[in-house]
Amino acid sequence: MPLLTRSAPPLDPAAPLLDARDVAVAIGGKQILHAADLRVTAGELVAIVGPNGAGKSTFARAVAGLQRTSGGTVRWSGVDVAELPGRQLAQLRAFVPQRSSVPDGVTVREAVRIGRSPHVKPLGRMMRADHEAVERAIARAGVERFAERKLTTLSGGELQRVQIAVGLAQEAPLLMADEPTSHLDLGATATLAKLLRGLTSDGLAVILVVHDLSLAAAVADRVVVIASGRSVAAGPPEEVLVRERLSEVWQVDAALETRPDGHTALHVAWLGRQERDAEAFAASSDALSPHQTHPHERTPLR
Amino acid sequence: MSVQSAPRVTGEPAGDPAGSPAVPSVAPPRRGASVRQIVVVVVALIALVAAAIGSMTLGAVHVPLSVVIDAITGQAQDGPLKQIVLDLRLPRMVEALVVGAALGVAGALLQGALANPLASPDVMGVTGGASFGAMLILLLLPDQIALLPVGALAFGLLAAALVFLIGATGTGGGSVARLVLAGIAMTAAFQAGTTSLMALYPDRVQSAIFWLAGGLTTSGWANMRVVWPYLLVGFVLAITLTRPLDRLALGDDVAASLGSRPRAIRLTAAVAAAMLAACAAAIAGLVTFLGLFIPHVVRMASGTSSHTYVVPTSALAGAALLMVGDTLARTVAAPVELPVGPLMVLLGVPLFLWLLRRAS
Repeated sequence: MPLLTRSAPPLDPAAPLLDARDVAVAIGGKQILHAADLRVTAGELVAIVGPNGAGKSTFARAVAGLQRTSGGTVRWSGVDVAELPGRQLAQLRAFVPQRSSVPDGVTVREAVRIGRSPHVKPLGRMMRADHEAVERAIARAGVERFAERKLTTLSGGELQRVQIAVGLAQEAPLLMADEPTSHLDLGATATLAKLLRGLTSDGLAVILVVHDLSLAAAVADRVVVIASGRSVAAGPPEEVLVRERLSEVWQVDAALETRPDGHTALHVAWLGRQERDAEAFAASSDALSPHQTHPHERTPLR
Repeated sequence: MSVQSAPRVTGEPAGDPAGSPAVPSVAPPRRGASVRQIVVVVVALIALVAAAIGSMTLGAVHVPLSVVIDAITGQAQDGPLKQIVLDLRLPRMVEALVVGAALGVAGALLQGALANPLASPDVMGVTGGASFGAMLILLLLPDQIALLPVGALAFGLLAAALVFLIGATGTGGGSVARLVLAGIAMTAAFQAGTTSLMALYPDRVQSAIFWLAGGLTTSGWANMRVVWPYLLVGFVLAITLTRPLDRLALGDDVAASLGSRPRAIRLTAAVAAAMLAACAAAIAGLVTFLGLFIPHVVRMASGTSSHTYVVPTSALAGAALLMVGDTLARTVAAPVELPVGPLMVLLGVPLFLWLLRRAS
């Protein structure tokens, strides 16, 4: 069917998996993304962080080829994303969206099989290798225990792992996940973090769009900070997520702590400085001990 | 050519001494359909074959099955029985087959494409348009009754085209809500036209009632000659759409991630459904409720929503139900012929409600 499938352009094995430069996106005449860069190679986990509305998800969707760009270049293995036919792009990257539909009457295994469809010819049948890939994806995402259950019966954490399994069935060298933990409890978040980090040990590259900076610091090799539609910083978490940048980008007084044993914490002056000062003042005027001020109280930035 | 072989995804943590890809030996991949799915297909097939035999042999004149088979295979001698089989009953049976299949498929496609269990060919404005086209011929041009299928088909497709024009173009076009609302508005407009025509020609309304009630007629191959190209296009599109619709069921982003274009899938499915439903209305009048009903019955009875199963099975079940209904309508109160549409509702609603209660 020549109308439906374009010929696949040759990939460049020496090029990085993903190389996005100066990506700009305009939606409905409004410039959402001005200039954002991202380079990802095999085996690394890159977190995209930034405030709400800064353009993180738009950027992720643009590099994934789900959102038309208005400027810049996005290259997958050296080939411009616009030149890649859908099925070939689907074999280069899997995209796990923030919200996905949960259809009635579809089991986990059926859903993961749908994830294999880029490898199956239109109107063709799934081969033995495809069935094996589906089972591998189910096992890797740890969803085999409820593989026969309907999607509608799963918890949020289980559902999110099924989404990852759908992506893994694509057997693409890079997996992108947009806010996969945003609605999950602590335990489910940790399970998912371990899963995504584990994928990099398998040789996959992972791009994680995430709000939680302490989570980003714990799992990511590099973080890219998006603010007001631009990538303003990129590098190892402890170098990028410094106090000055948190203050500048998120307008909060916060500091990231990363311990060598892998614990991370974000210490935040939740109520800001002025209110704290006022409280401290009120406290001291009541002749109470100054030690009662919040332990995370920090000195002013400037 | 690929950059590198796709990374091996193993079931074990990295550094696992076994090192082999962990294909779990416990749960062998289940490739085939479940027992329930097979049962639904078998029941529909048996009903279809039984109804086909009944439809060919029963009626004002009883034709033995052996004669039917001889007539169809071209071995019967010329005579009235052969004529009844080939010119009257065979076309009617084929009509029941294609109309039932077309409506089942149209409903399954639309419910999948619009991700809405209430979707039926009605929401594309097809039913309203086809009714208006039929009324134009029946009420304004009663001498040109042969044009009835042409009028119904043309206005059914016109209504769907207008819905597309309004619902699928421009910024934000192609969204489910916009398509459905455009369809509802277009249906209302054409229904107003239909009602106005009926009010203007009250003396001719009698002839319109049968069409509106819905049912097959013994009219030879004339209808099929008008609609077959559109039916063919509709069915061929439906076959190519089943797997894309499965992807769409997981959400637009997942479908796009898997290399599909969600908007294109949705619009193609709606076009195919509109063509099939317009053809069905042109042949059998308003029995379009089958389109809403059949896919639900298939899903509830089989326990799966996979389109690769639901779409073809809906075709089979739709054909079976309409053929059973038509045979009953012709024979239960013979020589009086009951209108098929209301009979189908009476047959189908209890089954539907029973399944609905059982499913939840």
